[in-house]
Amino acid sequence: MSKQLITALLLLICSLSSQSAEQPVRVVSINLCTDQLLLMLADRTQIASISYLAVESNSSFMAEEARQYPVNHEKIEELLSLKPDLILASEYSNRALIQLMQKLGHQIEIFPLPSDIKGIQANISRMARLLKQKERGQQLIKQMNQRINKIIQQQPTVRPKALFYQPNHYTSGRNTLQDTALQLAGWRNLATELGIEGYNPINIEDLLMADPEQLFTSPYAPGSHSLAEHQLSHPALQRVTAGKKMVEIDYKYWICGGPMIADAIEQLHRGLPQ
Amino acid sequence: MRQPLALSQTQLTSTLSVILAALFLLSLFLGSNPIPLFQAVRDTLLDTPSVIALIFSEVRLPRALIALFTGATLGLCGAAMQGLLRNPLASPGLIGSASGAALGAVCMLYFGMSAVTTMALPAGGMIGALAATLLVYLLAGRDAGSLTLILAGVAINALALALISLLLNLAPSPYAVREIVLWMMGSIANHSMSDLQIMLPGILLGWFLLIGTGRSLDALTLGEETASTMGISLPRLRWRIFIAIALAVGSAISITGSIGFIGLVVPHLLRPLVNHQPSRLLLASALGGAILLLAADICIRLFPAGTDIKVGVLTSLVGAPFFLYLIIKSRRFVL
Repeated sequence: MSKQLITALLLLICSLSSQSAEQPVRVVSINLCTDQLLLMLADRTQIASISYLAVESNSSFMAEEARQYPVNHEKIEELLSLKPDLILASEYSNRALIQLMQKLGHQIEIFPLPSDIKGIQANISRMARLLKQKERGQQLIKQMNQRINKIIQQQPTVRPKALFYQPNHYTSGRNTLQDTALQLAGWRNLATELGIEGYNPINIEDLLMADPEQLFTSPYAPGSHSLAEHQLSHPALQRVTAGKKMVEIDYKYWICGGPMIADAIEQLHRGLPQ
Repeated sequence: MRQPLALSQTQLTSTLSVILAALFLLSLFLGSNPIPLFQAVRDTLLDTPSVIALIFSEVRLPRALIALFTGATLGLCGAAMQGLLRNPLASPGLIGSASGAALGAVCMLYFGMSAVTTMALPAGGMIGALAATLLVYLLAGRDAGSLTLILAGVAINALALALISLLLNLAPSPYAVREIVLWMMGSIANHSMSDLQIMLPGILLGWFLLIGTGRSLDALTLGEETASTMGISLPRLRWRIFIAIALAVGSAISITGSIGFIGLVVPHLLRPLVNHQPSRLLLASALGGAILLLAADICIRLFPAGTDIKVGVLTSLVGAPFFLYLIIKSRRFVL
């Protein structure tokens, strides 16, 4: 009871203070994940700079929109010359850089990497709150939820078995976005059932024994060649799925948790056997 | 003194073949999951093979076969090279053929050539192996002593290794740099039947060329002049063996990466058993090389799951001390 009261009070204070404060006008993002949320939620005038990865179309979902903004390379000199009101970073950003910027009196917000829908929603609302774009945030979450709910209603009664298989034998087990998306789309994730935690390699014999009906992969650098990528064309992988080709779902949907997860879930759903 | 050790050719061949067959079978039985092997073999004949049949035919069989063919190639080529150069330290690993092959394969794989045609990979290996072998041979000069040959080999190995690292750093694939160790140490895990098909033509062609060089190598033990009076054309023999090594080692290494010391160790271990006769050593070394590589591959699978040790690490751990022993022995001989 008291907990709820405190939360309500805190929320009230937050909203009051946010209404009184002005919108931040020079926002700098130094991480691809915060870049994308910033591009989705902010006014053009609010964005001072985004990271250089934001314009790379293999990893960035917002590459097209990102081209009109100056990019930074997570370097202290760049950040200082940008005179930011607000710096956005992820939990994997350069620690030393963040501490230094904090020491110099800059406001830095560090976003976690979500592995489920709740985490994505929390990141969106937090970003919207920071940018004073609450309505846009709510709108974005609502659209994402609607698309996901539509898929959930179409989930098959008997879930077919699937697995993500990446170069170097990596797969996505419990507590990964891929696991969340597979299950929401109506698949069983064999990696989770085999007890794999997070992003870890799977032995090819274990993979075959699990007998998947469909394999998914996310090419990080499509069209490049290496032994790691050559593993994906192992003939046993196609034979175990009765000739069905591995379905490619672009890396840009997974690298950061964001509303684009709805796209990925829809693509996974389309992969279900008819 | 060594006479009593020598066995008849049939005795030796059959003993080695039995050991090889036993290791080959053992290799098929070992895997991360226990599978009923006989049922798996029967299931491979079905129209829609079961999962265990897939594990047998697409994972374990190619691994065992690749170990067998690669090991045999390295052993055979080591024996042929030691016979030709009459140098106990000559072997594909030490005189640069293997690292040259790896360099050639790296050129083809990471820059998309092997995606155009799969045969580009072994072709790159062959060209690299031939170029490196010839370069070492020319650098060391004819009738080079062990030391000169080894030094030339060290230089070419270092150059090939540096170029491999450079190319992998420049390669567009984000996974390339991590694969340096794979090319340096060699691995026969995670290959498929199609990889075996890629390496097989070159290997068989190389073996075919080496058949029949035995008599010439025997004659060569009497010295080059004696050999030529016996009607053996030395330049022709040299080219034949160099090209055979390039074909076989180039193809094998382009799939497995450079696996060290098998070509050096195996002929030495078997030489006393064949009465120091190069012609008999060829077949024995092929069998011995296959045995050694299969055994090494079985050993690394006995480590706890998740420790991904490359097979070349093990062959080098065994081979390097042996190499040192050979150096010490030859030094004592010189002194």
